[in-house]
Order: sequence, then structure tokens, then C-alpha cells
Amino acid sequence: MNEAAAVTFETQDIVIDEVFPHAPETIWKTLTNGELMGRWIMPPTGFEAVEGKHFTFQTTPAGAWDGTIRCQVLDVRPNERFAYSWKGGDEGNVGYGSRLDTVVTWTLEKVDNGTRLRLVHSGFVMPKNASALSNMSNGWPKVLSRLGAIAEEEN
Amino acid sequence: MMIEPAPITAVMRALADPTRRAVFERISNADEITVVELTRGSGVTQGAISQHLKSLKQAGLVAERPEGRNVYYRAEPEGLAPLVDWMSHYGSFWRDRFANLRTLLKEIDP
Repeated sequence: MNEAAAVTFETQDIVIDEVFPHAPETIWKTLTNGELMGRWIMPPTGFEAVEGKHFTFQTTPAGAWDGTIRCQVLDVRPNERFAYSWKGGDEGNVGYGSRLDTVVTWTLEKVDNGTRLRLVHSGFVMPKNASALSNMSNGWPKVLSRLGAIAEEEN
Repeated sequence: MMIEPAPITAVMRALADPTRRAVFERISNADEITVVELTRGSGVTQGAISQHLKSLKQAGLVAERPEGRNVYYRAEPEGLAPLVDWMSHYGSFWRDRFANLRTLLKEIDP
């Protein structure tokens, strides 16, 4: 089998896990109240924390895509778990603005000093081997060497 | 702000060459820099540096500003936009949002 010719894709997740010195009920409110969501994520349009409900976020457009993130509430378990789909993009775009079909899941767990909040943003389709590219989020100059390694592979 | 989709390969190609990448890194780390300064300590000729600058300019990674007898070069971070994929975008997006949440929670639940 010719490995160089095989183009394979895999899905990857973004996971962030942090403890906040607040009760799960308080954090739940910031996740499921539209006004509060607007104060730390983005202001949602048509949001209601009800399973099946559709809502949107407005983000930066790219190419043929108007920047609308389309969401649907998938799972509501008060003070424990909240999930919605997160879709957008356009097939004509590369990188930012390309087709996006992902799911955002929030999990809350009561701990001694507050609440452990875990975000899993899942379903990013990545060409295998290109995953190093996705680590470039900490400011662009620092990641050049990594990008260079990828660019060399591509050449 | 509109982000125009740009061919990823032009940027990739410009950064594929290790010397050119080193040139770009040095420009990135300086506010502005001349060809003479870039050549100093680079181990390559001024002509070679000029060629690399030309490629970087064509890829939209570097901009120039002529002043008197000198030309000053600076990095254009927007040139890297085609390389920013969804995962890197949302990686920093959510990290920022977690920081916002911490601040918001302090306000509403001191």
C-alpha cells in the first residue's frame, strides 16, 4: 500500500476542563440563559434551553459563508450536561470558513471547591498528519517552526 | 471584517524553505527591518535575502515601506489566515471564553 498517496481523515475534539469556585447551579445559568451566554460566549439569536430548539450565533463571514453558526439543542440535563450542534461554513472555503459540522457538549461536576466544567467541542474533520497545524492557536509567530514542518511535508 | 479564502498552497510554499522561514521569523520578531540587517548574521548573501523577501511579499506575508535609501520590511500576520483552520480557531476561541466566564462568574456570584 502506498502510504504517501492515501489521504485519510479523522475527527478530533477540543477539550477544555477547568474548576470554577462556584456552584453547578450558577454555572448552569451562564450556559443556558441567553442574556448571560451573550456576556461570555456570544449573543445567541432565538435561544432557549429546550431540546430540539434551533438558535444561531453571528460570527465573521468568509467567502460564500455569511458567518452564521446554526445550532440545535441536543441534550438538557439541568446542572449536569448541556449539548448543542454547532454548524456553519461553506464547501468553497479552505481553513476558517470551510464546512463545519460539530457538537458542543458541556459537562458539570460538583467538586469540593466548586464545579468542574468540561467543554468538548467534537467533530473537527482533519486530514491525518495535519493535526499539528491545529495546535497553532497560541499566537502565530511561535508556531512557525511547526507550520514549516508541515509545509515541507506538503511540498 | 471579511476573511477572503486564499489558496493555502501559496503560503505553505513560501514557508516551506527553512531559510525563508527563518527570514520571516526574524521579520516577525522585529517591528521593521532592512535587507542589510536581515543579511547580517544570516549566512546567505543579500541577493538571496532579497529573493526570499520577494517570495514572502508575493505570499502576502510581508509588506515593505521605502524610506530614503532604505526599504523597511514588516510581517503581515493576516497572510497566515489561510492556515488557520477551524480547530485552531476554536481552540483559542474557547480558551478566551473560559477566561470571560471566570470574570462573569466573579461579577454575578462574588
